[in-house]
Amino acid sequence: MNGHPLLEAREVTVRFGGLIAVDRVSAVFAPGELVGIIGPNGAGKTTFFNALSGVVPPTSGELYAGGLRLTGAAPHRYAQQGIARTFQTPRVFAALSVAANIDFGLQFAGRKREGGLLLRDVSSILRLIGLQSQAELPAAAVTPSQQRLLEIGMALATRPRLLLLDEVAAGLTESEIEAMAQLIRRLRNELDLTVIWIEHAVTTLLRHVERVLVLHQGRKIADGLPSEVVRDAQVIEAYLGDEMDHATEQQAA
Amino acid sequence: MKRDALILFALAGWALGVPHYGSEFAVSMALTCLMYVTLSSSWSLFCGSTRYLSLATAAFFGIGAYTSAIVLESAGWWAAIAMGAVIAAAVAAVMGAAVLHLRGTYFAVLTFGMTELIRHAITYWEKQVTGTVGRVLTTVPERDTVYLTVLGLAVLAVATSIVIRKRRFGLALAGIGADEQRAQTLGVNTRLVKVAGFALTAAFAGAVGAAMSVRWTYIDPATVFNPFIGFQTVLIALIGGAATLWGPLIAAVVFSLLAETLRLHVPQLYMMSLGLLLILCVLYLPGGLASLRLETLREWRSGVAGLFKRKVSDKVGA
Repeated sequence: MNGHPLLEAREVTVRFGGLIAVDRVSAVFAPGELVGIIGPNGAGKTTFFNALSGVVPPTSGELYAGGLRLTGAAPHRYAQQGIARTFQTPRVFAALSVAANIDFGLQFAGRKREGGLLLRDVSSILRLIGLQSQAELPAAAVTPSQQRLLEIGMALATRPRLLLLDEVAAGLTESEIEAMAQLIRRLRNELDLTVIWIEHAVTTLLRHVERVLVLHQGRKIADGLPSEVVRDAQVIEAYLGDEMDHATEQQAA
Repeated sequence: MKRDALILFALAGWALGVPHYGSEFAVSMALTCLMYVTLSSSWSLFCGSTRYLSLATAAFFGIGAYTSAIVLESAGWWAAIAMGAVIAAAVAAVMGAAVLHLRGTYFAVLTFGMTELIRHAITYWEKQVTGTVGRVLTTVPERDTVYLTVLGLAVLAVATSIVIRKRRFGLALAGIGADEQRAQTLGVNTRLVKVAGFALTAAFAGAVGAAMSVRWTYIDPATVFNPFIGFQTVLIALIGGAATLWGPLIAAVVFSLLAETLRLHVPQLYMMSLGLLLILCVLYLPGGLASLRLETLREWRSGVAGLFKRKVSDKVGA
């Protein structure tokens, strides 16, 4: 990895007209990390993700992947550098089968990259996300929670080094969330992926990640171990105590 | 894919025979059919799968026709066709790079505007620089040469569609049509794919334009850049089913025959009838002629029967 971080954001700002959605956020992501991003509604989490994956070019600031400057490049260049993402609302190719949706990534960004055994082909990826029996169904016909898994499968098919997950657990039941978290840990451990995970449900996230970034009104207000972050005065202030109280209680218990 | 190739082979063989037994009129009809098969199949190849509605077909057709009118005498038939294709593709690449980031109506209107711009630019150039209104083509190849060339182009357009559907390029085009941004994040260089696809479509239109120009022997910008060529291509593709392989071909044949018949027999109602046909197609066959199945007819019948029953029961109720 030539000593460079896998992904680096330097003073990234995204402005929509008069609104500053992301305000000078810097962050460094190392290989194999499992990082969470939390923040109240409208904190700029998804916009920050859009910047990290090239979907929205930053108004100012720089983005580097493995030392390569990617600021302003098209999303496919990010994908080629091993940065894959999911979307908050699953954006699967509805008319294609589940298997063909997975194959799409393999045909493009994943084509010239090392996959290893787990990401070798469509069926190995289907096995990994547990959708073997839905392989031939059209993507529009599977349940919403299966579509979320398929989103992850499509991203994995690009054979990434870094995976950006945007609220993959939203709307899932308690047991589904637990299964999702197990899957994410497994991806990190077995594929040696860096995972950056946004979740609105703070408690779920804090249980599973090793480092957490907190965004509030577009700015990064904390970056550290979950146990430290939940005691941070600014963070508690941002959440007005409500959700964070539960998190602290659970940590204490 | 094998079945598609076989069907194409059979159709081409049948069309190959037309000049031998058909009348002069039949050959001329077949030529028009083949011209629209090429135009609408190649249009659908890009526009059908990516859902970019291009109205620029007339521009590429006209560019091909003018190229042929200018170089035919010095360069010969095949070189004129090839140059028509290459120049049209080059213009499309430049045009595409400028407007393919736009979607929907904006893209459609801009491609139409650019077609008009090219037409007026050539009209101006001819008047001011060359000093003519139109051009007369003196050395024209034999009728059968023109027919076989256009047939060859039609076969090539359909064959290209068959092959591309199974390739990464076709997958990329379909991905752009379904969700362009998602395709990008999965590694598709959408800009490159779109420009290449648009240029490929234009190459076919340019080649057909180059071949068809000799049929008119006299060409001027108003004839070869006629926006109706672009509209009809779009209409045919939509009536046939732009997302399908065979829809544009079926519709091109049906449409050309129907248009010719109507023009001969009811010239006053010609355009109106075509308009009505389009409206009916959009309302009752949104997937195009290619989606027409026996079940569709049955659905229509039960739909009409249901309507009738409801009316009766309304009356009984009242």
